[in-house]
Amino acid sequence: MCNPSGNQLDNVSRRNSARMLKQEFLKKWIMGLQICSASKKEMSILERKKAIKLSADLAMASTKNGTTNWSLALISNASKENDNKTLVDQMLGNHHSEKISTKRPSIVSIFRNKRVATCRGKKILKKRGGIRRAKKMASSATSIAKRLVKKRTQVLKRLVPGGEYMDELNLMEETLDYILSLRAQVDVMRHFANATPKFES
Amino acid sequence: MLHCLNAPGNAAGNCTDMSVLERQRARTKWQEEQLIHQPPQPCYFEGNDQFNNGFSMLNQGQDFLNLMNSEMGHVVKVDPGLDNNGWQEFGQFGGEVLGLGSSGFVTGSGFELNYGISRTVSCPEDVAAAAAVEETAATETTQRESVSPEKMTSLVGRESFKKRKADKNQSLKAVAGEESREKRIKGCNEEDESKITEEYSNNSKNTTHNNNIKRETSADTSKDNSKVSEVQKPDYIHVRARRGQATDSHSLAERVRREKISERMKYLQDLVPGCNKITGKAGMLDEIINYVQSLQRQVEFLSMKLAAVNPSLDFNIDNFFAKEVFPGSTSNFPIGVQSEITNPAYLQFNPLQQLASCSGLEMGINNPDMALRRTISAPLSIPDTFLDSSCFDQIQTSSGWDGNLQNIYGMEFLQGRLTSFPGQQFTGSNEASNLKMEM
Repeated sequence: MCNPSGNQLDNVSRRNSARMLKQEFLKKWIMGLQICSASKKEMSILERKKAIKLSADLAMASTKNGTTNWSLALISNASKENDNKTLVDQMLGNHHSEKISTKRPSIVSIFRNKRVATCRGKKILKKRGGIRRAKKMASSATSIAKRLVKKRTQVLKRLVPGGEYMDELNLMEETLDYILSLRAQVDVMRHFANATPKFES
Repeated sequence: MLHCLNAPGNAAGNCTDMSVLERQRARTKWQEEQLIHQPPQPCYFEGNDQFNNGFSMLNQGQDFLNLMNSEMGHVVKVDPGLDNNGWQEFGQFGGEVLGLGSSGFVTGSGFELNYGISRTVSCPEDVAAAAAVEETAATETTQRESVSPEKMTSLVGRESFKKRKADKNQSLKAVAGEESREKRIKGCNEEDESKITEEYSNNSKNTTHNNNIKRETSADTSKDNSKVSEVQKPDYIHVRARRGQATDSHSLAERVRREKISERMKYLQDLVPGCNKITGKAGMLDEIINYVQSLQRQVEFLSMKLAAVNPSLDFNIDNFFAKEVFPGSTSNFPIGVQSEITNPAYLQFNPLQQLASCSGLEMGINNPDMALRRTISAPLSIPDTFLDSSCFDQIQTSSGWDGNLQNIYGMEFLQGRLTSFPGQQFTGSNEASNLKMEM
């Protein structure tokens, strides 16, 4: 941060970490695919696609080692379905599932806290409603802007796994992380997809 | 942090009694002076006397520029040792003058002066940038104008803010305390402002206008800095309430939160392509949403594609790796299951060494993924590969390769590096290798 060489170092380490991420992802993904193929022999194309995507997602989430909320949410979403549960367990190992089960309540508690907070916020809003309304007429532009931002935040919350339970600050952090992981995932998958047709032909 | 490496900084730091605004004003003056000095011929000052005169006049609020104009073209050496007796009488400007005197004037040219200012001013992150600008300017005198007044003002604003902050650091830690202090500073700022405007009313309208603009810009930068410094110093929360802003803890916390969010948004802006031109939170969120969606769709699409091209689900991954084409990648994923496959693959690969040496260049430079792809795919066009190689990192060339593989490729690496293949030859050999592999 202080000097250019430090910055460069930072850059290098970031790139290296991105690379490590990709390698780890690929490793885990292939492992997941192997598990998938071992468990089921005949599959339709849609089933196959689903399995591929699921294993890719799980691999991406497991590279995070449960440090981020979105990965935990992704894993817990995946393990909701019964067919996937075995895959999840196998892919992540037992300690992982324990981790998730211990972590999940914390997410829930966050959710609860969040709820309380919003309730309180609404109350405050209600109290001030009279004053606000008068202002609203005057500065409708700002309120429109706020509404737009809010709408988009809602959309983003739906996109990021587990985003419904996050507040705005958390959401931004998780989105950052999620985008980075998605990028790595897409990169690896694209390479894989580009590599594949060569074999089949 | 602020206090710079050289004596001028310290000297400036000594005059703590002068108010921020006055310092800032002094700098603004200096910038104007710079503007005059920037025309190509280097200009010098004659003697301490005239220089001192210049400052006393400045103190009295008279037009300093004319004097400087008249003094252009003279040569001097300002002895920094003289500063103590001669310059202190100029009160608040002593520090400034000293700073510029020892670093800038001794060396003489107007440009150096510039450099002096930015040296006293720059905070760590800026050192590099500023220095870079200055270096280029030093080599090409024609580029002097490249150090624009705006830049200078921003630097100045930065420093003044830092100073203010440093002062604060000494006296307060608590938020409430800061608030009151903030207000005091504000108050004195406002006083100064009125004073200044009075002063400047003597001058031509033009000057006043310019100064106001500059002041505004510097104020803005100092605002920005408040955020930056907040990131740098996480040990306590530094919140500034500006005029008319609430100071109770709730709204302060809210403000901190909002600033954090906007900081995250800034990072996101860097991350999401095409997002840096958009201003406004809604637009940025739009862009982010689109990006995330597109990435998710890509994942969807790619998994569909993979499912489509691999009729038997398991992808024949084992087959992939069993084939001679993938030895690089296998060794790259240290999966226990495939470890036994690696060796035969490597044996199979050995006959291909000649070809591998052709593509050794690519393999050596790019990371294994790249190499993997390179060896397999024929339909790759050259620009495509360039794109890929740029998106991959070329720094850690061989670290991705595990032990035995490195041995295998050691020779090819060297070969590839020593003889830099021209693009065409490379494609040719690549095609050849592909042909061979398909056989």
